Amino acid sequence: MKKWTPYLLVSPYILHFLVFVAFPVVFSIVLTFHRWNIISPMQYVGLANYEHLLNDRLFWQAVWNTLRFLMVHIPLQIAIALTLAELLNRTIRGVAFFRAAFFLPVIISGVVVTILWQQLLSFNSGVLNRMLTALALGRIAWLDDPDIAMYSIAVMATWKNVGLYTILFLVGLQSVPIQYYEAAELEGATRWQQFRYITFPMINPTIFTVVVLSTIGGFSLFVEPYIMTEGGPMNTTLSAVMYIYKQAFQYYHMGYSATLGFCFALIILFVVIIQRRYVEQEV
Amino acid sequence: MRLDWKIIRGYQLGLWCLLLVGCTHKVDSDRPLTFWCSNNAGEITFAKEFTTRWQKQHPGKPLRYQPIPEGQSSEEIILASVVGKTTPDIYANMWQGNVEMYAKAGVLIPLDTLDGFLDFIKLRCDSAVVREITSSDGHIYQVPWKVNPIMLFCNTRSLQQWHTPTPPYVYADYLKAGQEFKQDKNGDGYVDQWLGYTEVKAIWYQRLFNFYPLYLAASNGAPLIKKTADGTMEAAFDNQYAIEVFRFLQTLYKNDYFAKERLSATRDPFLAQRIATQFTGPWTVEFLDKFKDPGFEYGIYSMPVPGNHTGPVYTYGDPKNIVIFNTCPNPQLAWEFVKTLVDKSGDLRLMELTGQFPRRKEIDTDPYFAGFLARNPRLKPFAQQTRYIKGVDNCELIVEVFDIISQEYEACVIFNKKTPEAAIHDAAKAVNVLLKSE
Repeated sequence: MKKWTPYLLVSPYILHFLVFVAFPVVFSIVLTFHRWNIISPMQYVGLANYEHLLNDRLFWQAVWNTLRFLMVHIPLQIAIALTLAELLNRTIRGVAFFRAAFFLPVIISGVVVTILWQQLLSFNSGVLNRMLTALALGRIAWLDDPDIAMYSIAVMATWKNVGLYTILFLVGLQSVPIQYYEAAELEGATRWQQFRYITFPMINPTIFTVVVLSTIGGFSLFVEPYIMTEGGPMNTTLSAVMYIYKQAFQYYHMGYSATLGFCFALIILFVVIIQRRYVEQEV
Repeated sequence: MRLDWKIIRGYQLGLWCLLLVGCTHKVDSDRPLTFWCSNNAGEITFAKEFTTRWQKQHPGKPLRYQPIPEGQSSEEIILASVVGKTTPDIYANMWQGNVEMYAKAGVLIPLDTLDGFLDFIKLRCDSAVVREITSSDGHIYQVPWKVNPIMLFCNTRSLQQWHTPTPPYVYADYLKAGQEFKQDKNGDGYVDQWLGYTEVKAIWYQRLFNFYPLYLAASNGAPLIKKTADGTMEAAFDNQYAIEVFRFLQTLYKNDYFAKERLSATRDPFLAQRIATQFTGPWTVEFLDKFKDPGFEYGIYSMPVPGNHTGPVYTYGDPKNIVIFNTCPNPQLAWEFVKTLVDKSGDLRLMELTGQFPRRKEIDTDPYFAGFLARNPRLKPFAQQTRYIKGVDNCELIVEVFDIISQEYEACVIFNKKTPEAAIHDAAKAVNVLLKSE
């Protein structure tokens, strides 16, 4: 009986893993070969869902939208977070206040932040457009112009998440031994050179972590476009996750939605592998 | 050792609990019938009143009512209850477009198999309604219950001030009214007074309140999809009516007669007189009468139509119907109760308590309802409109059909990226691909 004890102790987790992770993953893969609307019996369709996916213009547009979001969101996030971390890494008065202030948006509900920004960016009554009008610069359709909407969302998402990455970078910066900087200073290195040749290589693992985290976070973009634009205008803010959700819970195409999810997971995996190689080469 | 036994006992207890929960699901033919109603105050009062009356008259046939549980939407709750096999016996607020899906899944009772159903329905509704609610398999799974016709509300005093053409409108007059009424009142270079506003977002159900009622009005109530000779379904809206509706709406946006941006963050734009017209239903009447300023006057008219339009002006009725789920232990008894909700006295109480209209023929001329309409003259145009309303086509994929139309609507009407002809043709093509794939 005694030899079973460890197994019994880990069994709650194993059970949880089997029920809430392994089964859904396996079931989702099985679902990709079926047509199912939840309430009718499952119908085997072979590779029809995959065939449909290849010709689904909207899915590829949603993937492209998500990539466009990432192309703005990630560099912007890293640049701002790193700059803020550099500034917060100094011994200045009120640094604790600023650290808390920058972190505050991270802990505020995403829905609340999104609604707040929706008001800020409103064409007719938004604060931003009122300021532009006061400066005689004319209004901008931040969320209603197909060419701009996704970038507005990217800026908003950056504002929301930058505090978290600032803290991560701050931890990274504080782990760089001070002696390196002292030695560099003795050698006459400028601040930029210190950053370029000491800070940047030393915090590279943090940069990689931030890139991967914000990539995965960015790929799961949903709340912001769902609330602010509902995927519009003209599907330019329709994210891949939102499209998967739409197929599942608006049309009840569970099989096709699972296929989209499965393929999208492969795309994320591919992108993260590429990133990893690229960032490791950079190191 | 003792720890091992405690863990094993814990597991045993957990398993027993699971088994007990799993075994409790059985059909109990003696249980009270459950009736889910919508969760707005008027309908809860309506449900309470009728279940109380039923209990008094049938003490041996218990029936309980309950507002539909809270959720993001009633559709979501119903779907979850179907999946979990926890459906009510009777549900009174089913959107007509969802019925076909549930019917095909076999979770609804074919009501035409119940004694007295067909005779009753044929007395209450005209043959067009009976045709509309008949499923593709020939059975009827829903009781046509209530409607809220979408009509044109006009701020009559405001429009008169600007010397615009008077309603009811044909497209040309409505556009002229837009030209006259549109203003930049504060001189900042942007229009801040429009003829109207209707939701621009591409979410499918918004088309039920702009494109679809206008299409029905223009086409004398034509369907969006139809059955072909070989029994398959195909798009029926690739026609001049749909094209004209798209062109009409596109012109309204192109010329800034309608606001593109959401008019939020302030008072209701119709009451604030930032817009002079809106497409909406009878639920708006109570709101307007409650919050309007002194001297604010409005009228209710049929939807705008093309200049060459003849015959009655149809609109979308936003029908909500009653269904009986197959988990019901006694469908005949459930139908007997439903009958009390939709007979003449039930229909009158629905109007009195909710301000909504029963889907019954000749409400506007039936003396039985005359008193109510005399007391509520604002609702008279809706009562007259109930003669000429349509629901949605009986098709499992109707949501996707509307979604496809909605995508093209956005491209053509809102962003002017396509001609109306191309947009409608592309939508019809996509709908045909969709219908053939099923």
